Amino acid sequence: MSLSKILGTRVLSVVLAIAFCFGLDAFVTGQLNEYVVRLVMLAGLYVTLSVSLNLINGITGQFSIGHAAFYMVGAYSAGIVSNAIYKTQPLAAPAYMIISMLIGAVFAAIAGLIVGMPSLRLKGDYLAIVTLGFGEIIRIIVLNQNQWGGSYGYAIAPKYQAGWLIWLLAIICIATCRNLLKSAHGLAFLAVREDEIAAQAMGVNVTKTKVVAFIVGAAFAGAAGALFGHMESFINPDLFKMEVSFLVLTMVVLGGSGSITGSVLAGATLFILPELPRIVSFKMSLGLLLSVLVGIGVLVWMNRKFMEKYHEPDKLKRTLVVAGANIGLAVLAVVVGKLLNNIPQFGTTTYDANKIRYMILAVVLLVIMLLKPTGLLGHHEFSWDWVKRVLNRNKAGEASA
Amino acid sequence: MDLVLHSVGGLSLDFSTLPQQLVNGLVVGAIYALIALGYTMVYGVLRLINFAHGEVFMLGAYTALLSSWVMGFTPDAISKAFKADHPLTSSPLNLVIMLLVAMAVCAIIGAIIEFFAYRPMRNQSRIAALITAIGVSLFLQYAGQLFLPANPPPSISQEVNPYQKVVSFVLSPAQMNAAGDVIKPQMDITVTVGKIVMLVTVVILMLALTYLVRYTKAGRAMRAASHDFDSASLMGINVNRVVTFTFMLGSALAGAGAMMLATFEGTAMHPFFGLQPGVKAFVAAVLGGIGNIPGAVLGGLLMGLAETLVTWIGFSQYKDAVAFVILILILLVRPGGLLGSNKVEKV
Repeated sequence: MSLSKILGTRVLSVVLAIAFCFGLDAFVTGQLNEYVVRLVMLAGLYVTLSVSLNLINGITGQFSIGHAAFYMVGAYSAGIVSNAIYKTQPLAAPAYMIISMLIGAVFAAIAGLIVGMPSLRLKGDYLAIVTLGFGEIIRIIVLNQNQWGGSYGYAIAPKYQAGWLIWLLAIICIATCRNLLKSAHGLAFLAVREDEIAAQAMGVNVTKTKVVAFIVGAAFAGAAGALFGHMESFINPDLFKMEVSFLVLTMVVLGGSGSITGSVLAGATLFILPELPRIVSFKMSLGLLLSVLVGIGVLVWMNRKFMEKYHEPDKLKRTLVVAGANIGLAVLAVVVGKLLNNIPQFGTTTYDANKIRYMILAVVLLVIMLLKPTGLLGHHEFSWDWVKRVLNRNKAGEASA
Repeated sequence: MDLVLHSVGGLSLDFSTLPQQLVNGLVVGAIYALIALGYTMVYGVLRLINFAHGEVFMLGAYTALLSSWVMGFTPDAISKAFKADHPLTSSPLNLVIMLLVAMAVCAIIGAIIEFFAYRPMRNQSRIAALITAIGVSLFLQYAGQLFLPANPPPSISQEVNPYQKVVSFVLSPAQMNAAGDVIKPQMDITVTVGKIVMLVTVVILMLALTYLVRYTKAGRAMRAASHDFDSASLMGINVNRVVTFTFMLGSALAGAGAMMLATFEGTAMHPFFGLQPGVKAFVAAVLGGIGNIPGAVLGGLLMGLAETLVTWIGFSQYKDAVAFVILILILLVRPGGLLGSNKVEKV
C-alpha cells in the first residue's frame, strides 16, 4: 500500500469515528427517550472499561480484577476537582469536561502505577488477589472520608451528559489499543503475555511494559469514571463494588481475552445486566428457574461431550446436530419448567429481574469458561482484511463447487 | 484515667482492654485458621485459589442454621416457648449434630464444586481456572440470594447454645486511691464458655487433620500429590480421588468453622457473608505460606490478632482493609509467606 493510501485510510477512519460519535448523539437525543439515551452512554462507558481492562488482562497477560478501583478514582478525583473549580468559575461545558476527563485519567494513572508496581514481583493469581485487595482498600478509604460524603455519596455539581464525548473516549480507547498492538511497543505487550522470561531474553523491558499497560489501562478507566461521575452527578462507593470489576472481567473473558473486538462487543451487550430491572420487569417462577439452571448444566455437559466424542467430518451435519441438540434441550428445559410450575410452591414463588441479573452474570461466566475458555472471539480481531478474506473464500468456494 | 490511656502518636490506647482484645483476636483467628486450611490444602494440590471457599463457609453456616431449625429451634418455636414459659433447653448433643451435619454437607458441596467446575479446567491455564473459581463463587452467592432465607438476616438462636455462661479471669484488680476513685480499672478477660469450647474444638480438629495428613495413607497420597502432581499420578496414586478428598477435607473444616462462628458468636448470616472471612482466610493462608498447613494456622491466628488490634487502636472502620494491606506487604516483602519457601521459577 502506498503511503498516501494509508494516510487516506487513517484520515477517513478518524473522520468516520467523529461523525459516528456526533451522529449517534444527535440520533439518540433527538429520537429516543431519556432512559435509552442513558443506556447508550453507559454502553460507551463499559466499552471503554472492557477494552482498557483487556489491555491489562488479555493483551499483557497481567491478571487484574480490580478495575472498578480505577473507575472510582477517576470519578471521585474528577468530581472533587470539578466541584472546586465550579465554585469559582462555571466554565463552558465541553472544554470543561475534557479537562475533568484528563484529571480523572491522570489520577487513575497514578493509581495504576501504584498497582502496577507489585505486578513486577507478582504473577497470575497472586496479582489478581492484590488488585482485588487494592480495589477494596480504595473503596473502604473513600467510604470513610466524611468530606466526600462517605457511604452517603458525593454530589458533583456540574452535571454533564454527553453521549458523543463518551463514545469518543471509547473510540479513542479502541484506537489506542489497536494502534498500540500494531507497533513495536504493542508486540512487547504480547511478548510479555506469552512468555516473560523469553521476552526478557529478547530484550523487552518487561518491567516497563507491565507498568505501562497498567497505567494506560487505568487512565482510560479513570477518564470513563470522570465522565460517569459527571453523567450521574451523584456518586457513592457502592457504585464501584467488586461486582463492577467482575462484570468488566466477564466482558473481557466473554469476548475473548486479547481480542479488542470481542471486548467491544461484550461491553456493548453485557452492560445491560446491572440495568436489567429498570428495562424489563419480568418475573421468573421457581419451577422455570430451577429447570433452566439444570438445563444449562446439562447443556454444558452435553457440549463438552460433543467436543470430546463427536467427530463428524461433514461440518454442516455436525453443526446441525449440535445446534439441534442444544435447541431441543432449551425447549425441553422450558417445557419441564412449565410443568414444574404446576407444583403449588414452584409456580407461585417468583423472582424478579433485580434478583436474577447477577446470577446471569455468574452463569455466563461459568458457561463460557467451561465450554470455550478462550472466549467467543479468541484472539481474533475484526478487520477489513478479514472481511475481504471471508468474501474471497466464499467466492472461491462457489467457484470450486 | 490518665494513667491508663497512653497516647502514642496521637492515638489513645487503653491497655486495660488489651488482654481481652487479644483473646477475641485469638477466637476470630481460630476460625480464620480453619478456613485458611481449606485454601492452603487445595492450593497445595492443585495450585488453584479456590475462590468459592468463602461461599462453602457461608453454606456451612446456613446448613447449621437449617439443622438447628429441624431440631426444633425455629424462631417461632422459641417465641411460643417463651410465651408458654417453658424455655427450650438444648443439650451439647444438638451442637454435635449441627457440627457434623455442617461438615458433611460442606464436604459434599466441596466435592460437587470440584467435580463440575474445577475438574474440566484442570488442563487449562491457571488464570482460566481462577476465573472459573470466581464464577462459581458469584454463582453460589447469587443462587444463595435467591434460595436462602436472607431478609431479615437470620442467625442461629442462642437457645441452642448451652454454653452461654460467662467466665471472667481477673488479671489485675482495680486500684483505687484514698478517695475511692478508680485510678486503674480492673484488667480482666471475659469469655463465654462457648468460645472456650470452640477453641478446644478447633484444636481437636487441627490435631485430627495433622494425624490424617501425616499418618494415614490418604494423607500420604495428598502430600505426594502436592509435592508433584504428575509424578504422584505416575506412582499409582489416584489423583482424582486425592483432589476430591482434599476438597472434602477443606470444605468440612470450613463448615465446622462456620457452624461454630454462627453458634457461639451468633453472627447474622446473609448470602454474601462468606466473602469477607473467605478473603481474610485466604490472606491468612498466603501470610503463613500457601500450601503449608502449619503456616495456615499461624497466618489465621495472626490475621485475627491483627484485625482486633486495629479495632483496639481505634481504626475499626478500616478493619476490613487491614487484611489486604497485610497481603500486599507480605507479598512484596516475602512472597513465599512466613513459613513457606521462596521458589525460583525455572525455565
